[in-house]
Amino acid sequence: MSNDEAKFLLNAYRPGGHDAGDPAMAPALAQARSDPALRAWFEREQAHGAAVAAKLRAIAPPAGLRDAILAGARASRLPVEPRSRRARWQHPVWLAAAAAIVILLSFGAWWGFAPVGGASLEEFAVNFVDHGFRLQKRGADVAALKTWLAERQGPLPEKLPLEFARLHALGCRTLKFQGRDVSLVCFERDGREFHVFVARREGLSGDAMESAPRFLDRGKLVAATWTDAKNRYVVVSDAEMDTLKRVL
Amino acid sequence: MSHEAFTQLVDAHYEALYRFALSLARNGADAGDLVQQTFFIWATKGDSLREADKAKSWLFTTLYREFLRGRRRAARATSIEDLPPGEQEIAAEEVDRVARLDAGTVMTALQSVDEVFRAPLTLFYLEDFSYVEIAATLDVPIGTVMSRLSRGKAQLRAALAQEERGAGAKIVAFAAAKGAKS
Repeated sequence: MSNDEAKFLLNAYRPGGHDAGDPAMAPALAQARSDPALRAWFEREQAHGAAVAAKLRAIAPPAGLRDAILAGARASRLPVEPRSRRARWQHPVWLAAAAAIVILLSFGAWWGFAPVGGASLEEFAVNFVDHGFRLQKRGADVAALKTWLAERQGPLPEKLPLEFARLHALGCRTLKFQGRDVSLVCFERDGREFHVFVARREGLSGDAMESAPRFLDRGKLVAATWTDAKNRYVVVSDAEMDTLKRVL
Repeated sequence: MSHEAFTQLVDAHYEALYRFALSLARNGADAGDLVQQTFFIWATKGDSLREADKAKSWLFTTLYREFLRGRRRAARATSIEDLPPGEQEIAAEEVDRVARLDAGTVMTALQSVDEVFRAPLTLFYLEDFSYVEIAATLDVPIGTVMSRLSRGKAQLRAALAQEERGAGAKIVAFAAAKGAKS
């Protein structure tokens, strides 16, 4: 190992010896012990790092931040299912949470029955997610969710892109679009949600075959839609478009 | 998660999260919002989705993604990757320089480092994360983290020198002005 290679590794060695037990660092550390020039560089590097780290630790959060976090957490402990109305969050977030309490308490009954429109399934799906909804069946077991949907005659996906197997399922529900049954299965990864709507193509007005995904950007939400021989699928997400494309 | 457990989680991580957010957002108000947003996401869903022992990584990852979500500067980050390797040598006086500067000035220098280097560099100096954990938190390869740390440190040293020159210039100007009056 050259000294430059050792330096490259030791650059990632934290001041304070936190990485002393890391076997990947051992050869570079041994070389620093035996090579005076490298040892001098490493000592200066560690001293510099320790000095910067100490200055960073001296930065104090603003007074009140901790209390604001805790107060906001108490406010957010509502009987709200995942994907309630997060697309409309605004800063400061705790103010939005407090506003959500007022909205839900005042208009809870109305909100549950408010109609969601859309000329196509994809427009309806985006509006449905943006409006907010409740899951009827919660759980991470996709097989159990499919069974639950099948028992209610909900359309089932023929197959989903392979990447969906790596997502964490949140739950599912059934709903109606243009009087027809639609299944909704919700997934999550890295704090982003992916809502999969499935509707049988038969009877969907003006539905054409689309074997490749067509993407839609609706500002705070992105969506993709495609078909197979039996169903139309729409995925709505609060992730970036690139993230959605990687999932499909 | 109980209120007591959530309070413990906040107490364990909110200060470090704020420092990380401050280095990214470059102002206290946005940093505070990022921290609150991160805990808000946790409070509403994190405890049902995450293992408790992964909370720290989840919080820092979520904060970073919330920051990127607001910034959407992937193209700039890519172009910065093409910069030449950082200067690896460090002079003895640079250690003293850091000691002379106050914490706010060091943070200002850190905030001037290009964003792609700043995120791993801040996590590195927070000392809570190994390079392996930084790679996982930022979702980049380990080698990339090491490279970014090297380049980021070079940028930080240059920025610290610039900050000190700036501070020195102000002192000289003030003294000169006083001298001119008397």
